[in-house]
Amino acid sequence: MTGPPLRRIAYGLFVLAATVVLALWPILNHDAYKQNVILLAFLIAVIAVGWNIISGFAGYVSLGQSAFVGIGAYTAGVIAQQHGWQWWYVPLGGAVAAGVAVLLGAVVMRVRGHSFVILTIAFLFIMRLVATNWTSLTSGSNGLSFPLARYPREWQNTPFYYALFVLLVLSVLLAWSVRRTKFGMGLIAIREDENKAGAVGVSTPAYKLLAFAASAIFVGMAGAVYGYYLSYINPDGMFDIVLSVQAVLAVLLGGRATILGPVLGAGLIEFISEATNDRTYGVAGAQVHIGGQWRLIVFGGLMAATVLFLPRGIIPTISEFFEQRRAHRRSAQAGVLDLRPVGLPATPRVVEGNGAGGRVLVEVKHLEKRFGGVRAVDDLSFSVRQGTITALIGPNGSGKTTAFNLIDGLMRPDSGEVWFDGERIERLRPWRRAHLGLGRTFQITRLFGEMTVLENLVAPLREFRWRQLAADAVAGHEAERAEELLDFVGMHAFAHERAARLSFGQQKLVELAQILMLDPKLILLDEPAGGINPTLIERIAEKIRALNELGKTFVIVEHNIPLVADLCDPVIVLARGTCIASGTAAQIQRDPLVLDAYLGEGWTVEEAVTA
Amino acid sequence: MTDFIQVLVLGLLAGGLYALAASGLTLVFGVMNVINVAHGALLVLGAYLTWLFWRRTGADPLLLILVTTPVMFALGWVGYKLFVQRVRGAPAMSVLLTFSLALVIQGILGEIWSNDFRTVITSYSNHSFTIGSIVLPKERVFACAIAIVILGLLWLMLTRTWLGRAIRASAENPQGAALIGIELGSVAALTFAIGVATTGAGGSLISFSSFFPSTHYLWISRLLGIIVLGGMGSLSGAFVGALLMGVAEAMVAKYVPNGLAWVTAVPYMVIFVVLLVRPRGIFGAWTREDVATV
Repeated sequence: MTGPPLRRIAYGLFVLAATVVLALWPILNHDAYKQNVILLAFLIAVIAVGWNIISGFAGYVSLGQSAFVGIGAYTAGVIAQQHGWQWWYVPLGGAVAAGVAVLLGAVVMRVRGHSFVILTIAFLFIMRLVATNWTSLTSGSNGLSFPLARYPREWQNTPFYYALFVLLVLSVLLAWSVRRTKFGMGLIAIREDENKAGAVGVSTPAYKLLAFAASAIFVGMAGAVYGYYLSYINPDGMFDIVLSVQAVLAVLLGGRATILGPVLGAGLIEFISEATNDRTYGVAGAQVHIGGQWRLIVFGGLMAATVLFLPRGIIPTISEFFEQRRAHRRSAQAGVLDLRPVGLPATPRVVEGNGAGGRVLVEVKHLEKRFGGVRAVDDLSFSVRQGTITALIGPNGSGKTTAFNLIDGLMRPDSGEVWFDGERIERLRPWRRAHLGLGRTFQITRLFGEMTVLENLVAPLREFRWRQLAADAVAGHEAERAEELLDFVGMHAFAHERAARLSFGQQKLVELAQILMLDPKLILLDEPAGGINPTLIERIAEKIRALNELGKTFVIVEHNIPLVADLCDPVIVLARGTCIASGTAAQIQRDPLVLDAYLGEGWTVEEAVTA
Repeated sequence: MTDFIQVLVLGLLAGGLYALAASGLTLVFGVMNVINVAHGALLVLGAYLTWLFWRRTGADPLLLILVTTPVMFALGWVGYKLFVQRVRGAPAMSVLLTFSLALVIQGILGEIWSNDFRTVITSYSNHSFTIGSIVLPKERVFACAIAIVILGLLWLMLTRTWLGRAIRASAENPQGAALIGIELGSVAALTFAIGVATTGAGGSLISFSSFFPSTHYLWISRLLGIIVLGGMGSLSGAFVGALLMGVAEAMVAKYVPNGLAWVTAVPYMVIFVVLLVRPRGIFGAWTREDVATV
């Protein structure tokens, strides 16, 4: 919620008031029915807040979330049946649920999109089958009974109410802290573009596994409490996909990736649920109970309607509205690119042996990559000396971008070697390469569209440490550096704009600043001048030169030959996946092999020059 | 040994029927990259329609295919225009949407016809062909045979007609298809309608065995297992996958201890194992967005 202070204060006061009312509710009001309704809303809210971490932040949509309720409930139930109830079954249930979630995460690590949703449905049903068929442990479909709670009857369900209330508060605090730390930033980067996240140094597997655990732990605990509250559990009730649907719906209604949206949504859902459950229709005077079927119709229909008409949810739709109004006001003041020259803030590395005589920073040896029958890169060898701006040119389809992908780790070669700064890296994962000092921009920019420009800049990570996950997302030295770099590329006025709203050329500048956050030794630029206007091209060339003077080595794929001739030395020419020439721009332009590759046979230098 | 052959044959008979049921699902995925999770619910709806007409008129379910198929075709076309069209670009959202439609269909079926078991009974119910000591229930033989005939017709339609070629072209290369003048929107609507129409015929054929609203979970898991196994979007893959699934279920029921309880787990296991070990299935090509490159 980045709004003017007044609105933020009002929002904070509202949340505080709601929390106080809910905390005092059982003391002020003794209506058992209402208490139960709120209690169930808490349960759905806990599930929804958990779902929001893996699906809202990290973008992995799951329909198996309610399985963790079942796992928590069964963990507590199985032990409680033999040894009586102990309070610590609750955290135990959470721990088991989190453990299963991590296991699931590890197993489905590489699966995305449709397949992921389907796997989570399969997961839920497999869990249900296990609970049904492992009769020696779970009594199968006969279900399990919990020992009766031993506290005064007149307390009604107040202990359960408070247990779930506390769990809800804790899970919201967890979601909040996830959102504002590096951990949450990494998850959102994964949601926006997982490969890109890896390329800027986010070790995606660690982030995803942690997200799985975080999304399940409080749900498992709530499951244990819920089981005890029900006092009887069975597989169908505990591994109920409709409960997953309700949680998903709560988040979709309230707003994906918001902190309190899921809670708001859960309240709405439970309200609707009660309205459909207990509404009785008089059919010729008779009271007909309409429970189960209507639950399906109402929640199925609601979810369909939400997906179709309100895909961003209530809270984001409202804040989008305000954001647009604010953007209107601001665009009147500062809509244009800031082109004033600004000195480079980056702390220059100590660089030895730069330039043509410098040591070799990158060495590619006999690299090969096939796609089916096509050899996109075929026995490619070249080297890049430290401190140079090396160009990689060649006709379309000559394997330039594939070579980039192999160097920065988006693809793995079928054979051959890549050496970077004395280390062999062709089998390393992309984030490891980023940590070593490799940065890369894309031909079609790949910023994290839903993040602000500033957030895009602080998303890259120069190393992986567990402690770092808990660090503030945008803070301290890093934030200052990000702002300096935005100054450097002239994009400071747009720091709080969503990246997706920028023009293509602006995105290119931001992407350059983004990888500079990695303080890379080597920067791979994929068509930095492609598709942007001439003034901006000049500006980018100027920045590249400035950075190069500070010791950054560049490899640039570019079709704009005048720019290459002006900026780069040496130039490496690729054709059909292999290196056919290298030298200065002037040498290359006279090389008959190169002319042949570009223009086909029958062309002569004279013709090409006059053309 | 006879036991084994008996189980194998029953599995294959079931598999033929599964193949028809899965064909629409895989066709729709291949063309529009949407997994219609409501496919199982539509299949059960087809069975209910058959049951309804049969109870009113006493007509044979095999004949009622001629009624249910066009009805479901129309429903598919309307469903595409109203719902599916809007979520085509968003895989996860399209799964959520079609799943919620499945819940609505389940709820409506339960509301109208309750959650009791329903079955269509014909003059040849409980009759069998016997070859040696192998027993072939007539219903299953007819259902399988007709399913294969319909699949054959579908195959001819896809390979021999202009529409079929347009459908395959838009599946393989949408931009290319658009460039040569194929209207992707109407081809998609027709494909979805044809995909749903198969649940009409399929629904009539499954009405021989008992069904109730939540049977759709069983069907959708089975069908997803089949198309994942065969390679999503591949019709021939779905055919082979369906036969394998039919046999696997029959074998588990027969030879695994407490097998009947675990039969429903077979599709889920298949889904898990295939998506993890060989995500493209037996025949399918890689679908890029479903699997991380690194």
